[in-house]
Order: sequence, then structure tokens, then C-alpha cells
Amino acid sequence: MHWWIRGYATRGSEWRRALGRLWRSRLALVGLAIVVALVVVAVFAPWIAPYSPTKINLRERLKPPSVAHPFGTDDAGRDILSRVIYGSRVTLRICVLVVGLTLGIGTLLGLISGYFGGWVDEVLMRVSDVFLAFPALILAMAIAAALGPSLENAIVAMVAIWWPRYARVTRGQVLSIREIDFVAAARAAGASSTRIMLRHILPNCISPVVVQATLDLGEVVLTAATLSFIGFGAQPPTPEWGAMVSVGRNFLRDYWWYTTFPGLAILITVMGFNLLGDAVRDILDPRLRRGP
Amino acid sequence: MRRLSGVLCWVLVLGAMAWAGEDVLVMGVTAEPETLDPHVTVDNNSWRAIYYCYDRLVEYEGGTTKLRPGLAQSWEISEDGLTYTFHLRQGITFIDGTPFNAEAVRFNFERLFAIGKGPAGTFEFIKSVEVIDEYTIKFVLDAPFAPALSAFATDQGCIVSPGVMEHEVDGDWGQDWLSEHTAGTGPFYAAEWIHGMRLVLKRNEGYWGEPAKLAQVELRYVPEPEDLRMLLEKGEIDIAEKLTVDQIQSLKGVPGIRVFEAPSFQCHYIYLNCQRPYLNDVRVRRAISYAIDYQGIVDYIWQGTAVRMEGPVPIGFAEHIPVYQYPYDPERAKALLEEAGYDKGFTLRIMHSPVVPEWRQMAIVVQQNLAEIGIDVEVESYAWPTLRAKLDQGDFDMSFGYWTPDYADADMFTWFWFYSENWGLPGNRAWYKNEVMDDLVTAERVEINPEERQRLFEGIQWLAVSDAPYVYLVQAKYQLPMREWVKGYVYNPMLLNMPNFSGIYIEK
Amino acid sequence: MLAFFIARRLLLLVPTLLGVLLITFLISHIVPGDAAQLIAGPRATPEIIQRIRQEYGLDKPLHIQFAIYLGQVLRGDLGKSIRTRRPVGADIRAFFPATFELTTTAMLLAVLLGIPLGVISAVYRDRLPDHLSRVFSVIGVSMPIFWLGLLLLFLFYIRLGILPGPGRISGDPPAHITGLYLFDSLLTGNWRALGDAALHLVLPSFTLAFAVLARITRMTRSSMLEALAQDYVRTARAKGLHERWVVVRHGLRNALIPTLTVIGLSYGELLGGAVATELIFAWPGMTHYVVGSMTSLDFPAVMGVTLVIAIIYITVNLLVDITYALVDPRIRY
Repeated sequence: MHWWIRGYATRGSEWRRALGRLWRSRLALVGLAIVVALVVVAVFAPWIAPYSPTKINLRERLKPPSVAHPFGTDDAGRDILSRVIYGSRVTLRICVLVVGLTLGIGTLLGLISGYFGGWVDEVLMRVSDVFLAFPALILAMAIAAALGPSLENAIVAMVAIWWPRYARVTRGQVLSIREIDFVAAARAAGASSTRIMLRHILPNCISPVVVQATLDLGEVVLTAATLSFIGFGAQPPTPEWGAMVSVGRNFLRDYWWYTTFPGLAILITVMGFNLLGDAVRDILDPRLRRGP
Repeated sequence: MRRLSGVLCWVLVLGAMAWAGEDVLVMGVTAEPETLDPHVTVDNNSWRAIYYCYDRLVEYEGGTTKLRPGLAQSWEISEDGLTYTFHLRQGITFIDGTPFNAEAVRFNFERLFAIGKGPAGTFEFIKSVEVIDEYTIKFVLDAPFAPALSAFATDQGCIVSPGVMEHEVDGDWGQDWLSEHTAGTGPFYAAEWIHGMRLVLKRNEGYWGEPAKLAQVELRYVPEPEDLRMLLEKGEIDIAEKLTVDQIQSLKGVPGIRVFEAPSFQCHYIYLNCQRPYLNDVRVRRAISYAIDYQGIVDYIWQGTAVRMEGPVPIGFAEHIPVYQYPYDPERAKALLEEAGYDKGFTLRIMHSPVVPEWRQMAIVVQQNLAEIGIDVEVESYAWPTLRAKLDQGDFDMSFGYWTPDYADADMFTWFWFYSENWGLPGNRAWYKNEVMDDLVTAERVEINPEERQRLFEGIQWLAVSDAPYVYLVQAKYQLPMREWVKGYVYNPMLLNMPNFSGIYIEK
Repeated sequence: MLAFFIARRLLLLVPTLLGVLLITFLISHIVPGDAAQLIAGPRATPEIIQRIRQEYGLDKPLHIQFAIYLGQVLRGDLGKSIRTRRPVGADIRAFFPATFELTTTAMLLAVLLGIPLGVISAVYRDRLPDHLSRVFSVIGVSMPIFWLGLLLLFLFYIRLGILPGPGRISGDPPAHITGLYLFDSLLTGNWRALGDAALHLVLPSFTLAFAVLARITRMTRSSMLEALAQDYVRTARAKGLHERWVVVRHGLRNALIPTLTVIGLSYGELLGGAVATELIFAWPGMTHYVVGSMTSLDFPAVMGVTLVIAIIYITVNLLVDITYALVDPRIRY
């Protein structure tokens, strides 16, 4: 059970104060800078990247870093810098899809579970127990393998293992505010369940869910990269960082740049998300402020 | 820190001295055998492990395609080429103590055909097997078949002890047991197989012939070629197989390492599944053949360690003739697609397997080459057994593949490849059917007149190029990196991937 | 009281385990398409496939199939691997010790290094050691394991050559008793194998431990800080007790409780991390085996290993909960 699911409400002034705190934390700023840079690079990839990420040029294969190719080239003569730049798009797409879908599904189920309680709650929570009973990566691998190796299936697998976390967070939050006055008032006024859930309860569940989501982003990136590294994620010629390291492995001894730069990109991205996530948690949950 | 690393070094050196026995060979391999049963497997990885645990009636002589006596001391072939009579060596026992005799040989062919898996295909020409006396056996053929004698020297011709029947479960002819063990007369036997780690062959101390110099051969399973290459450089293994071209190129000139290199008949293809939409149109298949940058593949991916294949029969075979070579001509390819009505483009999938690392590299090139003529290619990577299963079921659009001959006759590259009853793993991996071709390849098999047979082969080669069910990519050199202390290695192009463990020794 | 708590926890496990079985069943029986075709292998005739379908009960309705499957698993029969043609249970027994040795060493490493690091970090709060350890923990939890493994392999094996590379052992393994090389070589007095196996463990176990190490450091630090700020610690200090004694006696003891939770939760992460580690270091373990099974669509094996891993994971978490209950007097069951 997570420590921050018990109640607190968010108001405008609190958000403003939170932003002020974010500004004052240096590490959080580093995290924010990394994430902003990632988004900028992803959006403007076609303008930033010096070459196409998939265009092969056999004459230029396995060239060390140089002015023309700052990160060197891979075994098909593709520019690694351009592939790393385009890789940010793949990574962001995975993040948005996985977090978006898990957030949607998990929050909805959590809402239903917490609001209705009883056997609905019992069933949903037992189901989420089951998913949490597997180490995440192993289950994701098994699902991805069963569906067939592709990036889309890896995303499906990740959604399948991730939704219970959001369901639990939301449920806890719902339980804590279900009986609060304004909900009771709305119910007394004859509002429908759907309306109460969406208008009154959901807005008050948002912030812990957001905290969970920002904390999860780093892990999503790592899991996706690991799935691709093992071969259950992105397929060629997609410039996915984990897949690039996987192929570059066979060039480790003589061509160090092949694995170095995509790996570094994963490390920095995950670090950015983690720093930002820690900061967001500290800000939105004043109860527990544990710095890294 | 320096002190610590010094200590570590010492521990390592002492350790190294302790284990590096002179009569032990460690060969690093990237794939494990499917099974050890010679009557079941047609997989090179299995053959490598078991070939020297068994003997065959006849054997290849050293590095040549000539045949010498094996378990058979001598043999006669009748005038009409229909009966083969073998006189067997006497006084040999299998490793399990069962005596070797004509009945044992007969049992082998009974088992082979009863199991009816891939290896049985090699002996399809056999009509009947007769035991004449304890040490004489006669094979009767359906029709004369030129390479018949060579077939007995292939791995499929391994003679297994009838004693395996003691391990039979539910009428499986001992398959379950033999998939993990060996029961032959050969210079080695499989002593231990720790799956996922290593397979150990030990010397058969009671071997009837010249005993092996090595007491033990360890096939160490290291799935990643880069790991293998590092282990070889550090001297932890003696031979490394299936390294990538790039890795082998950088190993050349490393002190203590020798890269054995020889021309081979290892041919790489793209199989185009002729039963699939788009690919069932010969114009599409030709367009694909026109679209590929062969020279780029040879120069940069194979870095000169391969030549472009010139048609279905490899260079070096007597039957090979220079047939039409599709040039790299994307315009022509586009025109063909337009003619076929596919100018809007379409999507195809191509399979490869990490077992041959160059396939992935070629897949990237092919993907781009075909994109230029409007065909989107999705690349899929499968484990080796999965790829083979999909080939066998025709569940693919295009696939990379390679083939090495078991005997030096163009039949290996024609009948297996084009005969429509060989669809799938037996050889016709393009699921190709052309009745004219069927007639040609069946005629070639029974033709005795060499000139007439050559004319048939020429027709086959022209028709094969015209129908284009395969893209003929490259014929690669065989390269085997090993430590210089490995001596006595003899290369036989018919026994590719099967180093002669019986002759190799180590001299440090 | 405690017995009651444990009994309740065990009872709650029943539906979870049933669910776990259902998921592995779905993965191995439905998703991959025609299971009979897969089991039969290439070139099977329709008759053979039909026979297999009957033999494995694949022609029956799904709920019956699930019941059959449940029965098999309860009898300890995990089926037969398509790839290795051996019982999955035998394969797991063969591959599990390698994974167990690796994850246990990694966990020990993480605990033995992580707790002192965290304590030092807390004691030297906002000074250099603290900054260093905090930077380390940020990097640690963000590091892709597979990339770290490659870096270490490159540095210590290829460049410096002071540690062995891929594999569990260079020469012959020690005589098989438990399958744990360290243990077996100790038992048989095989010192060559002991040194060899221990050195081979260094890089993979450190790679695997890295993220957990970072997490433990971080958790120890923050709970130490919390504990050191408590009244009784301040009292102890005021009484003039030696600083080191205060830290160990009063701070660490209380700080260990949340750390314990992290350790338990991290075990699952170690099992997941073992996948990449075993691939990088050619480690012949269970997760390596299951990746091979997954790529060759060997679903009986995938199902068996996933099930075993889930059970291990559940058991470890249960043990942590129980220990937690034992250690923390505030917990009421």
C-alpha cells in the first residue's frame, strides 16, 4: 500500500506554491531541463537530425565519431546521432501511450472499485493482486512474446502489467473522500453515480495519480528499452535506443560508440524523468519529503 | 586497487593453468543441437555434435569429396546402378556393447524410415534393404541415382546401435533417449549435456580405428558471437564458430589466432514464398531480384569474404553454368511492378534469425532496396527452430536462408530446391511449383548419361533464374577462427560446421 | 497472534495463486494460436496433430482445459518443453541454481554495501560523502542494466582484463550437488572451481545489484535521517553517548525497518533484472532459458518458468511481510 494515498486536497494556491518549490530545487530543475530537452528534440527531430535515421550508406559503415558524424555510424552506415535523436520520438511515444492508457484504464477501474465497493471492489482488487504477483518485466516479456514481437505489442504488454498501480492509487483516494461532506451533499441532492464520480470524486484523485505517473515514466522508459534489448520490442529499422544497444553489442570490442550513445540517451532520459518525478512527489505530497 | 587487481590476475593465471589441459578442446558455439538423434535432425548444430560419435558405411577422405571405406570394408555397385552391396568390417562393437553387423545396419534404415523425419529424405532412392549374411548387406534402388554412395557418408548415414530400442518409450524407437545420448561406434561419445551451457564429448577408449588425440571435446554454448570472440581472444576457448564478418576481420592478425579460410558452398538466399499474394506473380519476384544491391552486400557486409552467387548451382560445381545475372536496376524493377499492376506498392514481411548475424545486416539493405521500388518490408527476427518451423509450414512471405551441400552433386541444389513435393524444410523453401521444372528435376535424378544429365541441369538453371523463386545472394567463404595451438584441423566442404574432432590435437 | 496473521496472509494467497495460474494458462494455451501444431512441430500430419489435440485435451472447452491444467500443476507436472524435449520441471531444476546464485549474491552485495553507504550519507548529511552517494543513487535507479553490464564487461574484461567475462565458470564445473557452484565447490573442496566461479560472479552480480543498491542506499539514508531526528536519539546524544554508538544503536535499528520493505520489493526487480544480466554475461540461468523459450514459442516452458518465478516472488514478499511484523512492534495484526 502506498504511503501517500491518504487524503489531501489540491487548491489553486497550493499548485502555485508547489511551482515555487520546484523552482527552488536544483535537482528538480535538472530533471525538468532534461525532460524539456527530450520533448524539444523529439518534436523538432527532422530539423535537428543531420541525416535520415533509416537511410543506409554502406560506404560509411562503422565510422568512429567525427565532425560529419559526431556519434559515429552503425553497421549499415546510418548516422548514430540522427538515430538517437529520432529515438527520442519512439521513447516519448511509448511513454505517452503506456502512461496514458494505464492512467485511463487504471483510474477508471480504481474509481469504480472505490466508489461501489462490495464485490466489485473485491474482484477488481484481487485481479490487480494477481498482476502485481509477477515481477513486471517477466510478465511483460511473456505477454509480448505470446502476442509476437513488435513495439505495439510491447506497449500492450506494459499496459497490462501497469494498470493495477493506478487502480490502487485511485481507489485509495476515492475511499478517503467518498464520505466527505460535498460528496454526501451531492448524493443527497440526487446526483447520479456517474456524475458524482466524474464531477466530484475524480478531480480530487488527480494529484496522487499524477505523482504516480511522473514517478513511473522513468521505469516505463527502462522497461521498454529492456524489452527491445531482449528482442520483444521495436523491430528494425525503428531507431529505438534499447534495440540499438542490442545490435551494437556485437560490435562492443572494436566499435565502442555503437552502444555508448544510445545507452547514454536511455540513462539521461530516465534520470530526467526520475528527478522530475521525485520533485513532483515532494511538491504534491508535503507529508513526505524525501530527497534523493 | 592495483594490489587487488594483481591478486586477481594471479588467481586467474593459476586457474587458467589448472584447467587448460592439453587434450581438451573447447569449441564455442552460438547454437545448441536440436537433438542428438541422427535419424531425426537435419540441423548443422546437431550434426557437429554427433558426427564423430558415429561412423558411417563410407566416409569422406580427409578434405576431399572422395569416399573411403568406413564401417564397410568394401562395396560393389551393380552394372545397372540399382544394387549396392556392402561388406562390413568385423569385430566392431557399439559403445553400448551391442555388436555391429548387417542386422544393425538394416535396423538403422528401418528406424530412419519409420521415424520419417528430414534425414529419411536423403535416402528416398532406396527401395529395399536386404541382409545377405552377418557382414554383408544389400541396398536396392528404385532407379539409378548418381550420388547414392555419397549419401551414405552424410550425417544421415550415421549407424546407430540397435541397443537404443531398450530405451524405447511408447513406440518412439528410442527417440526420447537418443535425443540426449549417443550410441555409435565412433571415436567419441556424448558424456554430458548441460542444456544452455555445454555438451561434452569424451573419447571412446575402445574405438576400433585410430583413436582420437583429444580426450575431450567441449561444445560450449555462448549465444552471443561477441562473447565468443572475446573468449577466443583471451584463450578461454580454442575454436569459435559463427562469428560475424566484422569480428573475424578484426581477429585477423591478432597474435595467437589463426583464421582458417577456404572457399565453400555455403550459399545465402532470400526465399520468396510463391504461394503468397504478390509473390505468386513471377513479375514481382523478378522485380525483387532486380532491386537488390548485390555489389553493396558483397563489398560492405561480407567485406570481400563472399562472392555473388551466379544462379542456383554454386560456382565450383562441375554442373555450374553462367546463367542470366539480374543486375541492380531499380528502374526495371519498378517497371515490372507497374506492369503487374502493383505500382501503388504493398507490404511484405521478411524473416531472419540471429543465428546468422549477417542476415540482419542484409535485411536492412534489402528493406531499403525494396522500399525504393515501393515495397514496404517488415523485418522479423525469429529463433532458429521457429524460423525453420515457419519455413516448413509456409508461414512467411520472404525469408533469409542458407544451404550447404552434403554431397558434391548439383542434385543437392536442384531436386531439393525445385521439386514441388519438397515444399518446406526438405528443400523447396520457396513453395515453388512449375510442372516443367518438376519433370526436369525428376529426370535429372535418374539420367545415367552424363552429357544428357548436364543438359538437364542447364535447363534447370535457366528456368530457375527465369522463374526467380529465390534471390541468389552470396556464396560465402568458410571462415573458422581458432587459436594457433589447434593443430590437425582438416576442412571438408561437405562437412561444413563439423570440424574433424577425430584428427585435431592441441600443441601449446 | 502472529500465527493468525500468517494464516490469514496464506489464505489470501489462494485467490492470487489461482489468478496467477489463470494468467499463465491464458498465455500458454490461447495466445499462441494452435498449441497442438506447436507441440507437434514441423511436418506433422493432420492425424498426429489431432492425436496431440486429444492427448493434451486441446479439443475440450476452455474451462475443462483449465481444470486439467490445474490438476497437472498441482501434481507438480509442468508439461514438456517443445524446445529441449525434456520435462519443464527438470529444466527448471537445471537452470534455477544459476539464477538463485546470481540473485542471492546480488542481494547480499546490495545490502552489505547499500546500508553502510546510506548510513554514511545520513551521518555526513549535506557534506561531500552525502552528495556523492546521492548522485550515485540517482544514477543507480536510472541505469539500464543491460548497458551497465556491457560497460563493465568492456572495462574490466576487455580493456583491463582483470575479471573474467561471459559464463559461469571457465573450466569444468564442480561435481553437481546443489547446482550452486560456490556451495558445491566448497563441499567438494574444489578450490580451483571455487575461485573461478567466485570471480565469474563479480561482474554479473554487481551489474544486477546496482539499481537495488542505489535504492537501499537511498532508503537507508532517509530513514536514518528520520530516526536521528527522533527524540530518543536526541536524548541519547544529550546523555553524552558516543556518536557512533548512537548512530548504530538507536538510529540504524529503527531505520532498518523501511529498508527491509525495500529489500523485499526489490527481489522482484532482481528477478526481472536477471533477464538482461544473464543475457549479457551468457549466464546459463532460468531467465536466460525462458527468453530462449519465448523466442522459440515454447509455451509450456514459458508457462512453467513464469509460474515458478511468480511463486518465488509471492513467497519472498510474504516472508518480508512476516519479518516486518516481527521486527516492527508498532504493527498490529
